[in-house]
Amino acid sequence: MYLRRLGFSNFRNYSELNLEPSTGLNLFVGANAQGKSNLLEGIAMLGTGKSFRTARDSDAVRAGCERAVLSGEATSRAGNVNLACAIDRGPRGTRKTYTVNASPVRYANYLGRIRVVTFVPADLKLAAGTPGARRAFLNIALAQTEPRYYYELARYRKALQQKNAVLRGAVEPDDELLLVYERTLLAAGTEIMLARVRLVDELAHGAAAAHARFAPDEALEVRYEPNVVFDAATPEAIAAAFEARMRHAAESERTRKSALVGPHRDDVGLSLDGVSLAAYGSQGQQRTAVLALKVAEYGVMRERSNEAPLLLLDDVLSELDETRAGAFLGEIGDYEQAFVTATHLPPGLSGARVARVQNARVLEWAAC
Amino acid sequence: MTTVASPVAALINELSKLPTIGPKTAARLVFYLLNRPRNEAQSLAEAILAVKDNVRFCSICYSLAESDPCEFCTDERRDATTICVVAEAKDVYAIERAGAFKGRYHVLGGLISPMDGIGPAQLHLRELIERIGREAPREIILATNPNAEGEATALYLSRLLQPLGVVVTRLAYGLPIGGDLDYADEMTIAKALEGRRTLSY
Ligand SMILES: [Zn+2]
Repeated sequence: MYLRRLGFSNFRNYSELNLEPSTGLNLFVGANAQGKSNLLEGIAMLGTGKSFRTARDSDAVRAGCERAVLSGEATSRAGNVNLACAIDRGPRGTRKTYTVNASPVRYANYLGRIRVVTFVPADLKLAAGTPGARRAFLNIALAQTEPRYYYELARYRKALQQKNAVLRGAVEPDDELLLVYERTLLAAGTEIMLARVRLVDELAHGAAAAHARFAPDEALEVRYEPNVVFDAATPEAIAAAFEARMRHAAESERTRKSALVGPHRDDVGLSLDGVSLAAYGSQGQQRTAVLALKVAEYGVMRERSNEAPLLLLDDVLSELDETRAGAFLGEIGDYEQAFVTATHLPPGLSGARVARVQNARVLEWAAC
Repeated sequence: MTTVASPVAALINELSKLPTIGPKTAARLVFYLLNRPRNEAQSLAEAILAVKDNVRFCSICYSLAESDPCEFCTDERRDATTICVVAEAKDVYAIERAGAFKGRYHVLGGLISPMDGIGPAQLHLRELIERIGREAPREIILATNPNAEGEATALYLSRLLQPLGVVVTRLAYGLPIGGDLDYADEMTIAKALEGRRTLSY
């Protein structure tokens, strides 16, 4: 798939932006703080409705403005689609609204129309970072490729908040009420774990293969490490294991006033020749593993929807040495459209359309 | 710095406390009212006070009423063996508009949401149970919204009511009438499939 048109209005430091990107590689070069990352963030947010940088959507609205709008027209196997995501900053919080072909839709119906794989410098810490960052990595890929996943995740999170509120004593203690939320946690949690098993399984193959070409002497293993251990990846086995763990933890959950078991505490383990990368890997080994994982993510996203997603690389090529950067792009292989930012023209990139980003303006397209 | 006349500021402030009205909309409403004749403003003010002074909650079903018990609870033509449980008084009006229900109502006064400090004790649940004991209805229809809080409340209620020997039903999930399958989201379609029925005539 590719974007044929992209528009920002009062998004971050952009007042108005209208671009007609080309297929293939679109390269944006400029000094820091001119708006390169904002440009990529906007494309990612147009696709996923979420920012990869900030948890607060209100930050996405240009200072002094109330509404930011991201819009775009994409061509995919399903045909042409016009998408818009509006972010409204009001006195009672920030609200996002979505339209597909000018009709308002709910978020669940918006997700997945433009699929993106983003790679930002912070991702390079994925192997050594928090389990939360690795869960977010799984969530964004699943939400874009499985329509039901986002629904289950949202349902799970809501029930978790409610259960924690009961445990905290926000309302009178009530075992029946706990059971109501636990029923939702079990049903949604089982779906989440099933989806994660499948995804990590697909990722593990792709990542191991890419890694074998980056670093032939070491074998990368990517493993799903669910908080609830189960024997078989079937709905029945997972639900039974989850329920048993929940019953077992009930006492300590009451003491600690917090829900202790479930996929909200899942992790993904990365290891080289059986040795944990997070604990013992060098920074170089960790980075190589992340590159392999990103290659795998791109491959899985392409395979799942039978179509190449947009590839967004924010300043990440300049973080890598030339060999690694070249090897990474080589492994990604054929993409339909990529958006890449850099502070200087990276060597060895051919066939790119280059634009300069300066003070929230995108200037002069040129081929390099 | 210029300041607006203080009665204007005061009204803007009052209006912006209302749901869905921000300061900008409040200001628009105030300047609109300023341009209208005095009697219009007066009838608005009187209507607001009349709501507070003359409308109360029915002590049986907790819906809005001018008299207590309300017209639903006293109307002998309505079926007393079926009670429809809703979250808010406004939901009674939504169901009444459809004209398809001829039983009695019970308004919970909200939905269970512990994170917002609303537990079963904050709602008219105990009153519903007492009422079931008193009136011995045949069926309780749970008509809370099909969102997270509505589902949790319905589930909690169904567990609570089961031992009372009353039939507990839930409104069906499905596709909107006149809607287009193409435009329905995946979850609505999945739920509609789950709740499918044999077609007979
Ligand atoms: Zn009544």
